[in-house]
Amino acid sequence: MLIDKNIFIEELVENFTFSINYLSAKGIKCIACGEPIWGTLEEACLEKKFTSKDIQEFVNELNILAKENN
Amino acid sequence: MSIDINKVLKTLGITDVNMGVSTGQEWFETKGAITTSSSPTDGNEIAKVKNATIDDYEMVINKALQAFKEWRLVPAPERGEVVRQIGLELRKYKDDLSALVSYEMGKIFQEGKGEVQEMIDICDFAVGQSRLINGVSLQSERKEHRLFEQYQPLGVVGIVTSFNFPVAVWAWNSALAAIAGDVVIWKPSSKTPLTALATQKIISSVLAKNNVPEGVFNLVVAKSSVMGDNFLADKRVPLLSVTGSTAVGKRVGGIVGKRLGKTILELGGNNAVIITPNADIKMAIASTVFGTVGTAGQRCTSTRRIIIHESIYDQVKNSMLSAYKSITSKIGNPLDERFLVGPLIDEHSVNAFTNAVKSVAKEGGKILFGGQVLEGEGFESGNYVMPCIAEAKNEYEIVQEETFAPIVYLLKYSGDIYDAIAIQNNVPQGLSSCVFTLNMREAEIFVSAVGSDCGIANVNVGTSGAEIGGAFGGEKDTGGGRESGSDSWKIYMRRQTSTFNHSEELPLAQGIKFDF
Repeated sequence: MLIDKNIFIEELVENFTFSINYLSAKGIKCIACGEPIWGTLEEACLEKKFTSKDIQEFVNELNILAKENN
Repeated sequence: MSIDINKVLKTLGITDVNMGVSTGQEWFETKGAITTSSSPTDGNEIAKVKNATIDDYEMVINKALQAFKEWRLVPAPERGEVVRQIGLELRKYKDDLSALVSYEMGKIFQEGKGEVQEMIDICDFAVGQSRLINGVSLQSERKEHRLFEQYQPLGVVGIVTSFNFPVAVWAWNSALAAIAGDVVIWKPSSKTPLTALATQKIISSVLAKNNVPEGVFNLVVAKSSVMGDNFLADKRVPLLSVTGSTAVGKRVGGIVGKRLGKTILELGGNNAVIITPNADIKMAIASTVFGTVGTAGQRCTSTRRIIIHESIYDQVKNSMLSAYKSITSKIGNPLDERFLVGPLIDEHSVNAFTNAVKSVAKEGGKILFGGQVLEGEGFESGNYVMPCIAEAKNEYEIVQEETFAPIVYLLKYSGDIYDAIAIQNNVPQGLSSCVFTLNMREAEIFVSAVGSDCGIANVNVGTSGAEIGGAFGGEKDTGGGRESGSDSWKIYMRRQTSTFNHSEELPLAQGIKFDF
């Protein structure tokens, strides 16, 4: 697995740029004022009141996208 | 004019691969990730920087703590003398550093020069302040007692800067921190590390000449996984000055607040210009266009909303459209002086811009001008956009947010200045604001207690930019911090109240008797 819930948003933005649009569609903004927000994927999701189950689903889908983008 | 960027890099000591950790004159080999800095101007790689690891951070903070023990004992005017020389050195390298700011960040060369000039200005300010770090003498209620306040050095100041002002914000903070007797650890934006490296190299000769201890001016290029929450939670750093988004600021405030540390938060703005029927419209338009498209809308103080009285709405709208039309041929390479608007910092910002354009239309707004990503010769990096003007309503979700790009919303108001102010204040942010009016009553109301709720409230001066002499910062979601001029220096110091007793008695305050 390339991406887990503990990945930093900064790393997602740098190495898995497709994540930005994916997460944006879920209401999670990875970039603000032109810079990546701080913290992990899990923290960003929890702030938007997503559940652990949702987060695992996001992680799974992001990994599928990561494979496709490779 | 043609700028040879390779010559600039050479002059500033930037090589293909650079060390990203310095404690003043010394640079350190590190084993962290490699950051590649590319120019938004042409998409070309400029150079690479080796990031710090957690061990490197520990090494730097220990050096900083050690240096603080010495630096706090250096008389403030002597510390000021070092800052004065830093200002002189910046003058020497002004054009080169400005060119690098322009190339790495994307702002036009004139604005790059303005940014470096701000660094010089704050050095000058800090030199004067170094002889004016004063306290107050107060009247004691007890006989033959003296009561006074003074300011002591605070310790390690963490400075986190953003890409849009990659070096000026460091200067605002570190010049004051240095004269205050503090030591600084600078974490620059990972999008603009080279300008930070260049700045550190520029100041190093001054540090050497003055025997400034290693650890007073520290630079650490690091990922947030290495220097993120741990930096914020570090009790050895009594003050964190962070420039960034409201989202980042809330995180900083939470973590630093939990350990009761101090913060200077300079966060997002949603800055508005009010144009009343009594405005000098020509002046208002000229100022507002700079506010909306200057730095491609990537200033914290960029104008995001224009609140126009209904009686002059069409006139202002048409004037803005004419002005924007004249700008279409002025978008291009920021190092070429023919151009006034450079690129956005990267593809993510371009996406944010296009998404905002879509959002405002979706919410019922009308795109009046621009909104496209530019293509063709000169725009190959994909980071250039046509600035956008949209008609909108203040309550739209997208209007309530800050989009860090050149999109401005025209909002119509009816009634009087109070109605315009109500619209202006009805956003989460509170950084910069202004009114264009020649009516004294409107102007006074705007800057009164019932006026603008922003940290900056101008009259016949736009929202964008500020002089270093005033305290800079904003209210509400902008974070409440103040840096740069006025009495901002006080936050870099520890305030101390002392009572001296030169009598032979021991009276207690408030007349309390405690005989035993």
